Amino acid sequence: MAEFTASVYQNEFLPDGGTDVNAIITVTCSGAGTAGQTGGGAAGEIIIVDTSGSMGPETMQAARSAAQAALAEIVDGTWFAVISGSDHAELAYPPVASGPGLARMDATSRAQASEAIGRFTGAGGTAISTWLDLAGTVFASVPEVTQRHAILLTDGENRERPGALDAAIARATGYFQCDCRGAGTDWVVEEVRRISQALLGTVDIIPEPAQMQAQFQEMMRASMARGVSDVQLRVWAPQGAQILFVRQVAPSVEDLTDRRVEVNPLTGGYPTGAWADESRDYHVGVRVAAKAIGQEQLAARVQLAIGADVVAQGLVKATWSGNSELTARIDQQVAHYTGQTELAAMIQEGLAAKASGDTATATTKLGRAVQLAAETGNDEATSKLRKVVDIDDEKEGTVRLKAAVAKADEMALDTASTKTTRIKK
Amino acid sequence: MSETPSPTTTCPSCGAAAPTGAKFCESCGTPLGGDAGPVAAAPAATEASPIDDLGSGPISAPTHRNLAAPAADAGPRPCLVCQGTVGADGYCETCGAKAPTERDHFRGTPAPWVAGVCDRGIVHHRNEDAMALLASDAPGERAVLVVLDGVSNSIDSDVASLAGAKAALEALRAPFPRGMGTPASRSSAVTQALGAAAAAANAAVVSVTDPASTNPASATFVVVVVEQGLLAYANIGDSRAYWLPDGGPAVQLTVDDSAAQQQMEAGVPREVAETSPQAHAITKWLGRDAPDIAPRTGQLEVAGPGWLLVCSDGLWNYASEPEALAAQVAAAGTAVPLDLALALIAFANAQGGRDNITAAVARIEPAATVPDPGQNASEPALDHQEESDG
Repeated sequence: MAEFTASVYQNEFLPDGGTDVNAIITVTCSGAGTAGQTGGGAAGEIIIVDTSGSMGPETMQAARSAAQAALAEIVDGTWFAVISGSDHAELAYPPVASGPGLARMDATSRAQASEAIGRFTGAGGTAISTWLDLAGTVFASVPEVTQRHAILLTDGENRERPGALDAAIARATGYFQCDCRGAGTDWVVEEVRRISQALLGTVDIIPEPAQMQAQFQEMMRASMARGVSDVQLRVWAPQGAQILFVRQVAPSVEDLTDRRVEVNPLTGGYPTGAWADESRDYHVGVRVAAKAIGQEQLAARVQLAIGADVVAQGLVKATWSGNSELTARIDQQVAHYTGQTELAAMIQEGLAAKASGDTATATTKLGRAVQLAAETGNDEATSKLRKVVDIDDEKEGTVRLKAAVAKADEMALDTASTKTTRIKK
Repeated sequence: MSETPSPTTTCPSCGAAAPTGAKFCESCGTPLGGDAGPVAAAPAATEASPIDDLGSGPISAPTHRNLAAPAADAGPRPCLVCQGTVGADGYCETCGAKAPTERDHFRGTPAPWVAGVCDRGIVHHRNEDAMALLASDAPGERAVLVVLDGVSNSIDSDVASLAGAKAALEALRAPFPRGMGTPASRSSAVTQALGAAAAAANAAVVSVTDPASTNPASATFVVVVVEQGLLAYANIGDSRAYWLPDGGPAVQLTVDDSAAQQQMEAGVPREVAETSPQAHAITKWLGRDAPDIAPRTGQLEVAGPGWLLVCSDGLWNYASEPEALAAQVAAAGTAVPLDLALALIAFANAQGGRDNITAAVARIEPAATVPDPGQNASEPALDHQEESDG
């Protein structure tokens, strides 16, 4: 039985007249079990592979092997399907035209699916909205599947009328989760990140075909370890208070603020998808009415709920104090993740400015990113930044844009921008 | 408490187990230490029943036993700020206000004409004030208002003050004896009863004090008994009683046992004496190391309507002069005793709440309720009143 715990890191002391409360809530899940095996409904997995004409022979071969390797990670008994995507989507496995579009995984179905994947060849364009829509239809064909997850591989830019992809993302949001990977450097990070963020998944670049198989195995293994599905983060704030933001800040930065659904007038629910044995950190900002010095009140209850059951709760408090030694302190965790959130924004904004030719803005933003990465100890970000800028002074954040940058390095920096490191204890 | 052999005790309110010696239930906040053990052991409580038997004078003994401490079966009470539901985590589910424990904030309304509030204030971390109230249903007939202020630099004074307040209340549960029927003998009987109440409170304070304590619990003491038009009062230390007649002039009934009072008697103006560094040093107190537990006593016959106020220094620190307190009562603008007590607590907290605050009030309307003392004809009417209210 999965167990959740929540711990709160904050400085609860506010100065006279202070209103804004910041807290980091670390939620840890243990005993998650295996997807679809814990009595909370069956699990379904769909592997979506780009089979457009842009997929070169070497990439196509790598994609086939990777998809087959992913099949091997799907636990027997799990419902699954394979979709090939180009300017339209096709259900490659199971080979049915109507009825349930998912098959039960066993030795036979695994072999048949593997054979179907082996027949993939590249042809046609890229219309990712049709891939997402077919995945949704296939999941819906087996109602007992309640934990739905897909992995999506593409190698190129989406070629559809504007809005088509966003509409499909909206239809899939809250229905299935999707991890996305981009092969090579001809795909658009911002576009694919829109999919993965909305569908509570990850995004990454696979620059070399040889790395594809390992990535697919890892993604599928991670998904199968998520034994707890449909976990909701809930934030209660007192009457008259304002929730400024709700963000996941580890293992990656995801702004959840606008994903609020009302649980009751004082409580908002935010989807967090399925959980494995893992730890995630959330940053919550609440604005409350100031009270008199010495008064204490609750600024937020942060809860994890599975269905209607609250399984963990952390309390965010506010105490007004006249002692400036208490009120001036910024909690280490809050400071760390505030920096990491800004780091993600600086990298994305800096790269966007660079792409549009605004060298000055790009230099400033990436310089600030270098500074923040150093301050918060995010070595991965620092090493990825080093491939895009020459660093003159890490502390001051003075950098020069490199004259020649490998596209893959820039994309790797972009996709990794939201990944955060935990505080060094 | 140290002689209790069992390793755990059970909360009488919610049934949760608590370690022996715990002062409050971890689950629901119900006071444990100050309640069950010590008060039952206090000598005054066991002596109460023979006195009750003698209380067959013209004034019927109160049949309601509404003590100031809240009923144990009340369940989690609503939020004190917004009346919302208080969650299991101890915070209001609507406004988020932290719900104080029962010991940190409690209220009593033994009858519609008497109420009191005992509050931790803002600066102190626990409430060492205590209060105990009783009142007849019939307005003005009989009430007892007890306030003790535990000395904050002594150990366990919060437990001791509550035990002392309850013991004093028990000692005064029965009406005053009439003496030989002459005013002089009645007056001396009243004085004796007040002295016995102080002794009972002291015994309760001492009984909950760890014999090995090097800093034994100590507390101030003030009590006012209302019987028809009579206000009989006694005090030790610097908790006070005021009589605030409608239309004035307001008077401070009690005289402090404090360094400030000594200075004032030597001619130092009140505002100077009460703000001097030693102002709050008391010269008499209850407790194992008490030098003298004979209270100062006094009696006042009141003819017109007004408010009786019994309070700790957490209130009068912010309005010491009788007229200043009368002004706060007027500013509260309410005829409801509980609302008035709450307003006085709110006033002190708004001024900084630097100490625990207790304010107990009784609305006195003598003209309406004083019966002819020579006639027993009022008895049926009183009985009828009790029945209709019960």
